[in-house]
Amino acid sequence: MTGADVLEISDLTVDIDGPNGTVRALDQVSLSVAAGEVFGLVGESGGGKSMLARSIVRQLPGRARVSGSVQVDGRDVFAMDAEALRQHRGAGAALCFQTPRSSLSPARTVGHQIVDRLRAHAGMDETEAWKAALALFQQVGIREPERRLGAFPHEMSGGQCQRVMIALALACGPRLLLADEPSTGLDVTLTRDILALIAAQAGKDRGVIVISHDLAAIAAICDRIGVLETGRLVEIGPTAQLLTRPTHPYTKRLVAAVPDINRVRAATGAPAGGGGPLLAVENADVVYRSRFGRQGHQALFDVSLSLRKGETLGIVGESGCGKSTLSRTIMGLIRPTRGRVMIDGIDLAGLGRSRLRHLRNRMQMVFQDPIDALNPRRSVAQIVADPLRLIRLGRAEQDRRIDAILTDVGLGPDYRKRRPHELSGGQAQRVGIARALVIDPALVVLDEPTSALDVTIQAQILELIRRLTARRDRGYLFVSHDLAIVRSICDRVMVLSEGRVVEEGPTDRLFEAPQDPYTRRLLAAVPSLSTVSERHAGNGG
Amino acid sequence: MRLTRYIVRRLLLLIPVLIGVSVLTFVLIRVLPGDPVLLIVPETATEADIQQARERFGLDRPLAAQYLAYLGDVLRGDLGRSITTNTPVAEQLTRRVPLTLELIVYAMGLALVIAVVGGIYAARRAGRPSDHTARVAALAGNSLPEFWLGLVLVLIFYQALGWAPPPAGRISPLFSVPPITGFITVDTLLQGDLPASFSALHHLMLPVLTLAIVITAPLLRSVRASALEVIDSDSYRCAESHGLKDRVLLFAYLFRLTLIRLPTLAALVFGNLLGGSVLVEYVFSWQGLGQWALRGLLLRDYPVIQAYVLVVATFYVLVFLIADLLQAALDPRVEV
Repeated sequence: MTGADVLEISDLTVDIDGPNGTVRALDQVSLSVAAGEVFGLVGESGGGKSMLARSIVRQLPGRARVSGSVQVDGRDVFAMDAEALRQHRGAGAALCFQTPRSSLSPARTVGHQIVDRLRAHAGMDETEAWKAALALFQQVGIREPERRLGAFPHEMSGGQCQRVMIALALACGPRLLLADEPSTGLDVTLTRDILALIAAQAGKDRGVIVISHDLAAIAAICDRIGVLETGRLVEIGPTAQLLTRPTHPYTKRLVAAVPDINRVRAATGAPAGGGGPLLAVENADVVYRSRFGRQGHQALFDVSLSLRKGETLGIVGESGCGKSTLSRTIMGLIRPTRGRVMIDGIDLAGLGRSRLRHLRNRMQMVFQDPIDALNPRRSVAQIVADPLRLIRLGRAEQDRRIDAILTDVGLGPDYRKRRPHELSGGQAQRVGIARALVIDPALVVLDEPTSALDVTIQAQILELIRRLTARRDRGYLFVSHDLAIVRSICDRVMVLSEGRVVEEGPTDRLFEAPQDPYTRRLLAAVPSLSTVSERHAGNGG
Repeated sequence: MRLTRYIVRRLLLLIPVLIGVSVLTFVLIRVLPGDPVLLIVPETATEADIQQARERFGLDRPLAAQYLAYLGDVLRGDLGRSITTNTPVAEQLTRRVPLTLELIVYAMGLALVIAVVGGIYAARRAGRPSDHTARVAALAGNSLPEFWLGLVLVLIFYQALGWAPPPAGRISPLFSVPPITGFITVDTLLQGDLPASFSALHHLMLPVLTLAIVITAPLLRSVRASALEVIDSDSYRCAESHGLKDRVLLFAYLFRLTLIRLPTLAALVFGNLLGGSVLVEYVFSWQGLGQWALRGLLLRDYPVIQAYVLVVATFYVLVFLIADLLQAALDPRVEV
């Protein structure tokens, strides 16, 4: 049940002075969060979500100018002196940083980091603090907590680091727990567990704010949700109401853009499986050898798949399941330890460097991080022209092809001279797709092409991919951890777990009647707005 | 266990390094113009006398034979005799290496303390006047020629103020210190002679200060840059946003992470110092390794130059080994 307000923000405006003038990062934001409440803050990158979190702990860039007020527990955060501010940071409001692995201090054991916080806020002595740290580790569900206290962040997995980060924030004993994008980089099952853990921290004396770009993921745990668009809080309300009856156009767009696993792929023109065999992977094992002859790590076990022209095959699984290894093996970047990869019936293993290079015009890849995958010093036209070097073309023909493909991916020739830093994430991914398609490859591997993008942009890129795959003129391999997206795009789906294929079949069959228990678990973990809003409505919203 | 294996492996690396540099120096100094024999024979010497002197030093034989003979001697621990002074090279080395090492170890220590304290101080006040002052001061020190700086310090602290001893020797002539380790500050302490110890430190004051001022700037800049990077990192910001006490933040979250990047640069600076101290040795009549080697080089004293190069190469390998071990100790992500 909700109690007294722990956070009260009124008319908060933050201006950041930069070289190109002043940017209004937050514009007259007002909201309150009560004890026992889980409040969700959604919006896309640049919307001001993180700035709002930073304002609450008064950790803003030096050039920020602030007006309005932030009160935690009735005390004005911007009126505090240094010592009061130190106590407020942590004990008043504690922030779980985004990307916990890089936000934990790298050269200090996680146990020491917890103890530091316990000693700063709970006034414990060394022995008490270590006992309390152990209890906290158990509370946040860290396996082998005693051993883990002595570990360094780089020795832990992403999910474990997120749990440590939550434990760090809890160690401060905050009245308000802030979690900034707690599910970034985690797969579906882990995301669900972590969000449930965060939601469970709301209590008699504690309110929780969860910040995310992923409306679907956090809707399940939030009592109320606020929507930020370019610094303004455009809509705020109970979760069910916001999902079923959004009033602001931006909220409507956000809700509509969420991929829904219950939405079935629209019927496409040409029948699947019409073309000849294009790609075949036969009984591939991949073992990564470690240096000094120690036991290697086997990433793929006896994986087989085939793909015909015109078909789109989805490869899904949690992080670490071998998805990336498989796509790299198919691209010929990794040689399988056993088994073979055949393109057009040609075994990649039998090819020398130069033959392999020439086969590359038959296969291209689109990468996960669109900006990182583009050389920052080259223009869009130069980037897109890169694969064309494999087949010598005349200048005019090359330019014609570049313009045509840029138009095809929805950018147009105007973008030729731009450089990657002048592109948004969505535009950069369109350039990445154009680069893959310009040489007219027979096989395109899309490696998590939308996971680094905001939801509305994601929807646009997916629309583009859907349009491309519907043409049935090449084979697509769509690698993703997002089951809802896979369902809306792929003809067939293959589920990978710990390097093994656990299930494979036509998309609709696999989603409606999964055979393998692992697939069922994966499907059950997917958040879906339609089920969430039903549940909230059932609870009396 | 793994650590021992690692250290042994790194030390084995010394063998190819020493063979490489010794071959290189051996050939290079003989190709250089200038003949040591012409410098030691009297002006009235006939062609036959010169030939006789050549034979005496074995310089008439083919290069390969000379090198093999030299290698054989070195493996037996015989570094040869100086052509110009006829003293055993090994004896000179054991006397002079500690002299210079003592000088540069203190200088390096002082520079590191100034650089770490100043660099972190400057980074925490980045952009404010105190930050600019620290950086400009370090840069100014770096821009001064060390012999000139040494002379100015002598003028001020010896001549004008009388705080420093005269710039000649390592200890007041009133004390006699029989060498044990060759490091005079250590020897005086071992013998429990506190006044002598004080005198030795007193004599070290100005040369150490001169060297330290010159090498502080690059170290300070590096410390400041990495401290700024740490302060700007999510991990530090996270610790700060959780309200840790200032002292804990400074030592546990800033200090150690800042130091991680230092050993490699420090090793480079320290390695350079062994040869680079020669001008300061001249100014303070230190009679160290640098002075001896420079004279050997000018007179084409082959055995001296060869021995000096071996010492410097060994020194570099050891210093970088220590730097890598320090780095691994500071950074848990680095494995040796």
